Amino acid sequence: MKTLVIINQAPYGNWSGREALDMALSLAAFDQPATLLFTSDGVNWLRKDQQAAAISQKSVDRNLAAASIFGVSELLADHQSCHRFGLDDHTMIEGITLANINADFLRAYGHVISLS
Amino acid sequence: MKPFHTLHILNKRPGHPGFKSCLSCLESRDALLLTENGVLALADKGLTLEGAVYALSADLVARAIPEDASIANVIDYDEMVALTIRANRVISW
Repeated sequence: MKTLVIINQAPYGNWSGREALDMALSLAAFDQPATLLFTSDGVNWLRKDQQAAAISQKSVDRNLAAASIFGVSELLADHQSCHRFGLDDHTMIEGITLANINADFLRAYGHVISLS
Repeated sequence: MKPFHTLHILNKRPGHPGFKSCLSCLESRDALLLTENGVLALADKGLTLEGAVYALSADLVARAIPEDASIANVIDYDEMVALTIRANRVISW
């Protein structure tokens, strides 16, 4: 059964996004199929060249690079949210598939998790 | 340097209810300083910011948000301190 983990909050402001990412990585590490979806302010996770050392943190785009190693099957981003925040092929990290979130889309997943 | 009436320091992401509350309280003699997730406003195409707008450089760099001078004056921490001194009052949202 596939699990969709949704990240809808911007990086660095709180821990919910990192916890959601950890959840997806843990699922994948135990061979449970997991997909990550970035939506709303959460698409800002996907921006290239983040330099979080400026605020004494670690850049989240590096954590994301581990996703495929752990076996997270897909990294998805909501199309409209990307447009809203000016994210395109040039400004986004590689390996992201754009998706439109609706009932049809969600039907494919047995579990859907969104931490807030 | 001309003083401000109120300096609004806004650290909430644009989708946060507090973000709207802050913008609705801005007056013409005020200044807005975007910090932390507040700087995402510079990338949000659904928003227009008017008046004296400042954004903290470190938070922009951390999030890889382009420093768009047409939207906000990009400042560092020292300039942030100077800005607070120019304000009669400071509200941290």
